[in-house]
Amino acid sequence: MSKIASPGASAANVNLRQIGKPLVRTDSPPKVYGTAVYAGDLTMPDMLYAAVLHSERASALLRRVDTARAKELAGVHCVLTAKDLPASQGVMTDMPGQTGGMTKNTKQPILAKDRVRFCGEPIALVAAESVSIAEQALSLIEIDYEDSEGVYDPVDALAPGAPIVFGDDNIVASYKVRKGDIDKGFAEADLIVENTFTTQYQEQAFLEPEAALAWVDEHEVLNIRSSTQVVEHYRAVADAIGLPHNRVRLRAEFVGGGFGGKEVMTIEVWLALLALASRRPVRLVQPRERSFLSHGPRHPFTMTHRTGVTSDGKITALQIKLTSDAGAYAKLSPYILLYATVGATGPYRVDNLQIDSVSAATNNLPTCAFRGFGTMQANLACEGQMEEIAKALGMDSMEVRRRNFIHTGDANVTGQIIRSAVWSDQCATQALAALGERPADTQTTRIGHGVACYQQSYGRIRWMKDSSEAWVGVEMDGTVIVRSAVTDIGAGQSSALAQITGEILGVPMGQVVVYFGDGAVTPLAGTSTASRALYMSGNATKMAASQVRENLLGCAARHFGVEVEELDMGDSQVFAIDDPQRSMTLNECVKLCAAEGIHRHNLAIFKAPTSEGIDPETGQGEVFPDFTYGAHAAQVAVDIETGEVRVLQSIGAHDVGQAINMRAVEGQVEGSALMGQGFALSEELILKQGRLQTGSFSEYLVPTSEDVPEIKAIILESRSGLGPFGAKGIGEPVYAPVAASIANAVADAIGVHIFELPITPEKVVKVLREQEAAS
Amino acid sequence: MMTDKENEMATEKLVSVQVNGETCKATVPACRTLLEMLRELGHAEVKCGCEKGDCGACAVLLDGKVVDSCLTLAWHADGHSVTTAQGLGGPNNPHPLQTAFIEHGSAQCGYCTPGMIMAAKALLDDIPDPSLEDIKRGLSGNLCRCTGYTRIFSAIHAAAQTLRQQGAAP
Amino acid sequence: MLPPFELLQPPSLDEALKMLAAGESAPLAGGTNLLPDLRAHGKAGGRFISLAALDQLRGIEHSEHRVSMGGSTTLSDILRDPLMPTAAPALVSMAEVFAGTMVRNAATVAGNICYGSPSADVVPPLLSLDAEVTLVSTKGERTLGLDDFLLDYKKTARRPDELLTAVSWTPPATGTANLFYKLGRRRGDAITVVGVAVTIVAEGNTCTKARIALGSVAPTVFRAQGAENALIGESLTAATIDAAAQSAAQECRPIDDIRASAEYRRHAVHMLVRRLLTQAWQTASGVNHDD
Repeated sequence: MSKIASPGASAANVNLRQIGKPLVRTDSPPKVYGTAVYAGDLTMPDMLYAAVLHSERASALLRRVDTARAKELAGVHCVLTAKDLPASQGVMTDMPGQTGGMTKNTKQPILAKDRVRFCGEPIALVAAESVSIAEQALSLIEIDYEDSEGVYDPVDALAPGAPIVFGDDNIVASYKVRKGDIDKGFAEADLIVENTFTTQYQEQAFLEPEAALAWVDEHEVLNIRSSTQVVEHYRAVADAIGLPHNRVRLRAEFVGGGFGGKEVMTIEVWLALLALASRRPVRLVQPRERSFLSHGPRHPFTMTHRTGVTSDGKITALQIKLTSDAGAYAKLSPYILLYATVGATGPYRVDNLQIDSVSAATNNLPTCAFRGFGTMQANLACEGQMEEIAKALGMDSMEVRRRNFIHTGDANVTGQIIRSAVWSDQCATQALAALGERPADTQTTRIGHGVACYQQSYGRIRWMKDSSEAWVGVEMDGTVIVRSAVTDIGAGQSSALAQITGEILGVPMGQVVVYFGDGAVTPLAGTSTASRALYMSGNATKMAASQVRENLLGCAARHFGVEVEELDMGDSQVFAIDDPQRSMTLNECVKLCAAEGIHRHNLAIFKAPTSEGIDPETGQGEVFPDFTYGAHAAQVAVDIETGEVRVLQSIGAHDVGQAINMRAVEGQVEGSALMGQGFALSEELILKQGRLQTGSFSEYLVPTSEDVPEIKAIILESRSGLGPFGAKGIGEPVYAPVAASIANAVADAIGVHIFELPITPEKVVKVLREQEAAS
Repeated sequence: MMTDKENEMATEKLVSVQVNGETCKATVPACRTLLEMLRELGHAEVKCGCEKGDCGACAVLLDGKVVDSCLTLAWHADGHSVTTAQGLGGPNNPHPLQTAFIEHGSAQCGYCTPGMIMAAKALLDDIPDPSLEDIKRGLSGNLCRCTGYTRIFSAIHAAAQTLRQQGAAP
Repeated sequence: MLPPFELLQPPSLDEALKMLAAGESAPLAGGTNLLPDLRAHGKAGGRFISLAALDQLRGIEHSEHRVSMGGSTTLSDILRDPLMPTAAPALVSMAEVFAGTMVRNAATVAGNICYGSPSADVVPPLLSLDAEVTLVSTKGERTLGLDDFLLDYKKTARRPDELLTAVSWTPPATGTANLFYKLGRRRGDAITVVGVAVTIVAEGNTCTKARIALGSVAPTVFRAQGAENALIGESLTAATIDAAAQSAAQECRPIDDIRASAEYRRHAVHMLVRRLLTQAWQTASGVNHDD
């Protein structure tokens, strides 16, 4: 692991005591001791168990839904279908946490009423005395489907005469970027390279399936405790079921993996309805096969790049077409398409640019958020195209990249000036170097090295007017509390707040208690999505802690008769820097403050930079707060007889701005290395006429322990990010280049690029045989 | 009025299992899995991830052997002894595996962790000085989506060393 | 959630056989196939005879001329047996990549064989060793070759009242090469796309015995006998081996499924049989083929 400080980086971070260190995370002990509580672990007296009936047809009218026999079954408390729900019912799956229509066709029925649009669409809900009775009740529900023509491919969906999935047409969203003069750019090119890349459905495959418990309490407040990434969903739950927002309380437990799959509401509304109807607590843990149908996988993309380059590798023109499969309901497809559009050019400066992107509705599974959110898929095409360009020009691909890297101060694809460090080159160079010497090929294996860079945003779209709140306080005995509704989905979201607060107030982070994830009682922090939790909640926490520090030091300074600048905090003490014997405990300090009526706590609101949107014709505008840059390098061995690909080394090098917890940062790089490997090689949801063929972990293959390569994380710190201490968001950025680096490594090994993910042994064999036939 | 057949299927048996040294009893039908029974008894640390032996989140030791509790019938565990992650140790008396998992940062979302640690325990009981290949094979039934396994491997390696040293101490 | 079923727990083999003879029941060993199936189809009302208490069905016995493992031998038992690497090298290689650790601790050889799946990993190595299976019922005992036991896709010669109590074979003579490879869509815990087990015995420079057992490329695991016959009596050159491997690929009847196409499976059979035969010949004959 190495660190490089850029010449202009602030030296203020060098005296950090806890920030940047690989300290034990506050959530580690309960998780390791098995005492950590997840939503499905919660029980209440008189609790009922829910089960959901999902559609078995992809496109059909519902002629009859008869729940009579289910309702009669002993032990069944309620069976709900669409006709039991308020007429206005619909789940707004718009920007998570916010309400108010932002895009068209964002309402998905809570339960299918007259027709189903995808195989898996929820039709009925049951609450019963036991899981067994609930499952039995499901089998007693009678449904008459009348199949109707469906459409299962975005290209077909956009063709004239295609069956319309919902609304007026199958265009869920579209964007245009027009920058410079594309025709002039192509005219200036010495060479034009065109390729089409496709990526597949990817299932989030979090180990914890969707789980939640809902009940109505003694104040007529609907309570939900859920495995969710967004506490602010209480608003959407309230709207969906017709309750006032202030009577819905959503609490997020430790989330056993989210990756975006728990970013929109999954089961919360169903449980809310059952709890209201039965007046009993109701719990659901989705069986894995139904989990596959309950949240929405990654959007498949088809991406065409047409690139004009000079003979020395400079891009003169870039024309990109992107098409994604939105599935049967819009959900977050418009936003994912926007991210893909902005991420399509990668970390390169392109002055003559034309991008046309469209997301089409089909009768497939409604796709949704997954780490990378469109940018990752777009990056695969961009980085594959870099390799193809280099090959066509007979140049090293890093040389082509260097000719085109965007730099701090340049305008990016949407005309936004990049203000933070762009260390793509350093990261890529270090990652590649760390692969070391290339081992020799054998008779049947070819070794390949590949690299990929990226530009991934962190923080939400600016016109969301994002903000995050945090409360920090010191108790009367000197112990420290943080309150934030941030959701902890496994990346150390809550622990980071303890570490930041501990740093500012001079208290070991393990002694800071963080209350998190409660929509009623902790200050709202916003979503744990868009690689924003550290950026937003970290800043809010730092602001609040800093204010508390100022208050405490002010009081102590008066007491000691010194200037505030002469004091510091550490080891739960306030002390004079030049004379550490002159000190008081935090306990003593707060009592002094209390005596003087000085606040020992503070609620801070951090506001992200805003903008008003992009130009609909040119796509120009400031879209995101900032971007993270880095690279991933892979070493693969390809068996040229069977086509099997083995990843031997997987190395991520990223400028994280400032690591808050070094272990957590490296852990993100390591985890994303394996998840990206799965996307590159073995993971694929297969749908046939909308019906899922790969509905369990036997068919849907995530990498196992036996698939793990040698993984390394190289962490660079420019301290130029907008997050606390100059940090940048990293959860998605570290994932962005992985699959591309593996695809590029395979291309290096066998001499021909495979443009379609996943790179299966069969595809490798196919291109090798074609290559052989051609020669 | 149940048929004879329905009677047989509904037959419940009193099952007695030693869980982490404590006798636990439950009256359950044949179709009840050990996973379900353990969770109903309050052992929420035994996690449910897939109910078909694909993910290992439910792994426990049954008479010292690591099994998927979702594929083990409660009736088959009758009279036997089960160890879960909470039976390995706790904050006041951590098992070296637990200490190592915490120190190495081997848990991110933590959902795979209880099952993973039991598989690790079984591995070290079997192979006190495991190679990386042994470790990978030992965990081959446990999926982890967050960590990339790297720190799980290093923690097991470190715990193995600690246990060997403890074993060697006079 | 499993659907409700009846579980009988006989304390002895005799009791178990009597229960099976009464009809309308099936044996339950490790449950690693049976329980997921039950859960998936959700049909209540099955009756299962648990073999859990029947210790006599476990245990591996080695003698100079015969190896015999009880039907309830688990995949982990195979890995733990110190003599198995010599008694059945391909079986051990297979066990190392069979599912994951926990499933290995529960899954039994009888369960894997009797499920009748063409992707049953236990079968190709046993077929490559000319294994026999012993079936026992209240009516008596019979032994038949494993290849005669496998009838069709998920169909074996086991009568409903029979238990597969033992699998046995003659341990390979010194110098025999017995190899296995599993091709899957990931390295760990995967359903086999193509499974290959080969046995080669050489006397001097002549191949005197060849077995090529293939899994996941036909309705049952089967031996590519045309390919085998092409090797017997030959000195195995690269060309002979390649021709035999091609023949094996032709003898397959693979299907297209979510994991791979039939065409790819045939190609993989060709490549893997060629590779394993080359390695096996090298070991068995001591001849090195670098071309």
